[in-house]
Amino acid sequence: MKYKRKKYKKLYGYLTFVLALILSASTTVSADSALPYETYNFDYWEYVYYTPAAYVPESSLSGIDLGVGSLSNPQDLFVAADGKIYIADTGNNRILILNSDLTLYKVMENFDNNGSPDTFLNPYGVFVTGQNVIYVADMDHNRIIALHENGELIRIINNPVSEVLPDNFVFIPMKVTVDYANRVYVIVKNMFQGIMAFDENGSFTGFTGTIKVAISTYDKIWRRLSTKAQRARQVQFIPTEFTGVDMAPDGFVYATNIDTKGVQSVRRLNPKGQDVIKKKDGSLSGDLWYRLAGDYSGASRIVDIAYRDNGIYSIIDQTRGRIFTYDHEGNILYIFGGRGSQKGTFKNPVAIEAIGDVIMVLDAGRGEIMTFTAAEYGRLINEAVSLRFRGDESAAVEIWKKVLLLDENFELAYVGIGKSYLAAGENKMAMKYLKLGMDRTYYSIAFKRYRDDILKENLGSILTIGTLLFVGTGIILKIKRKGGTEHE
Amino acid sequence: MSKKEKLLYPFYIISHPFDGFYEVRHREKGSVLVALFLVFLFGLSFSLNRRYAGFIVNVINPRTVNSYAEIISIFLAVLLFAAANWSVTCLTEGEGRFKDIITVIGYSLLPMVLTFIPATILSWFTAYGEEIIYYLLLLVSVVFFSILLLIGIMTIHNFGFGKTLFTLVLTFISLLLILFVLLLLISLINQVYLFFESIYTELILRI
Repeated sequence: MKYKRKKYKKLYGYLTFVLALILSASTTVSADSALPYETYNFDYWEYVYYTPAAYVPESSLSGIDLGVGSLSNPQDLFVAADGKIYIADTGNNRILILNSDLTLYKVMENFDNNGSPDTFLNPYGVFVTGQNVIYVADMDHNRIIALHENGELIRIINNPVSEVLPDNFVFIPMKVTVDYANRVYVIVKNMFQGIMAFDENGSFTGFTGTIKVAISTYDKIWRRLSTKAQRARQVQFIPTEFTGVDMAPDGFVYATNIDTKGVQSVRRLNPKGQDVIKKKDGSLSGDLWYRLAGDYSGASRIVDIAYRDNGIYSIIDQTRGRIFTYDHEGNILYIFGGRGSQKGTFKNPVAIEAIGDVIMVLDAGRGEIMTFTAAEYGRLINEAVSLRFRGDESAAVEIWKKVLLLDENFELAYVGIGKSYLAAGENKMAMKYLKLGMDRTYYSIAFKRYRDDILKENLGSILTIGTLLFVGTGIILKIKRKGGTEHE
Repeated sequence: MSKKEKLLYPFYIISHPFDGFYEVRHREKGSVLVALFLVFLFGLSFSLNRRYAGFIVNVINPRTVNSYAEIISIFLAVLLFAAANWSVTCLTEGEGRFKDIITVIGYSLLPMVLTFIPATILSWFTAYGEEIIYYLLLLVSVVFFSILLLIGIMTIHNFGFGKTLFTLVLTFISLLLILFVLLLLISLINQVYLFFESIYTELILRI
């Protein structure tokens, strides 16, 4: 009887196990396998590894959804401080203003230019200050327009005059941003000297963020060897153009540029116009690995940047439609998005904006705004990185542990936990985690402390053994020498 | 020479390189087997160092370490260098035989064999700021190796210092030439193989 019951118990165990297997098989269809793109990241050795979804597509919004007809080649997107969303509907020569709940608020097609009505011609960029002053880069009218929401003109910036500008210079503004002191920064087409800066009166003050051209020794030798006629036909060494620009609340300008070598596509410009961005191991340009020829090949073509809170910023790659998010130290946090025709992929992404944990991408090819919301993985990372940025590393530890449950390859989380162990004096644990996070500097500190602890604890025995060895060898040598002399 | 003497002879060479290498050439004190064994040991310690050096000093991706491939490639490099040096010194009236060259290379590797594993162990106990000792140890052994190799080549061929350097430069040029010819040969063999393979495929498909 007893034996039988045991057998039944066993059978029951098997049954539940099989049942659990069937159930788990039917429930493992997770959210990210339904996504049209892969979320991945690079580890310390620059190997690609796949992660859970950081962001999931929420909705797409077209002009027809808004009731204003389809958008024609829209080129810029901006979220104002009060939550209103501005779209430069370039092909239709208008600016759309949406409420924060993505309903239409207003369409701006014309404004009052000193009594006479005036219109836009290919408005390419839009920016709104904290005082709700709208700046429009009115590209084909060669001017920047600052105006109120009701169409009242504040000022026009055009025809910049300076000795440093060439005589045949045409002012074709593409993207515009304004800092807290009403200084205006403009990305101008075919202007390779940098971003043009204007003071609060609208007069040109100079270039900021000039990118220096790097000519390799190989190129120098090659040019030296070629003839004048050959040189004239060679590719000119010109600096790259800026593509997108965003303003951080602290007044630093974040700008993106095209880098065909895939080294640095993001710049953080201080008020003097110098690049002060932090890079980790050299690269800050989207994908580290890409095909050299064929479809979707070449280095990431970064076209816009969205500065988010707490030092986090996201950039968008036009070539492969991917969104890369970095923290203030240049660590890559997550990569998602892609090209395609499904919801959540893009045809021709041109602008990116962020409101809290929501990321919005403007697709010029389809005339749509794609909205992404943070999945748990992305939300946890954002939260932990924000806490770390504010200096609250101990509070971040619990979140890092949750991140590791979702993705045990996330090195930043190991470093975060390791540092907290280090601060708590648990040097051995700190060593373990910092090694997993590949942080040699902090590992070294933890290791030094650990080594000192062991030495301190065992100082007595080490000294005893040392003395014994020293005395012992001395005695043995003496005996040997004595034995030797006796032999003689 | 007894077995023990043969095994210990490389240690004598470390302290007396000129005399030691002279006796390798003229009194048959060297042993190719011992030299090859030292090359193997060097390959092993080199690979162990790459894999097991401490975290602070080790910047090598462990997934790229392949001990078999590394040991074999070190053997090939030694063989290549010896062949190149032999073919050059033959023409410049060097007195060394091929086996002497192999012996010299193998015996000169001894300082590196002796330091790489202790340095690896030392690196487990060093933090930032102290890792300089580890690098110094490695550097000293590499420099020691180069000096021994130079003296060895000089002695067995009965060259002066200038002529040794000159033949070493020529050695590197001929080394590149050998590599070039080898590559050429391999690609030619490949072409011939592909030719016969396509004939075979044609026949199979047509018959």
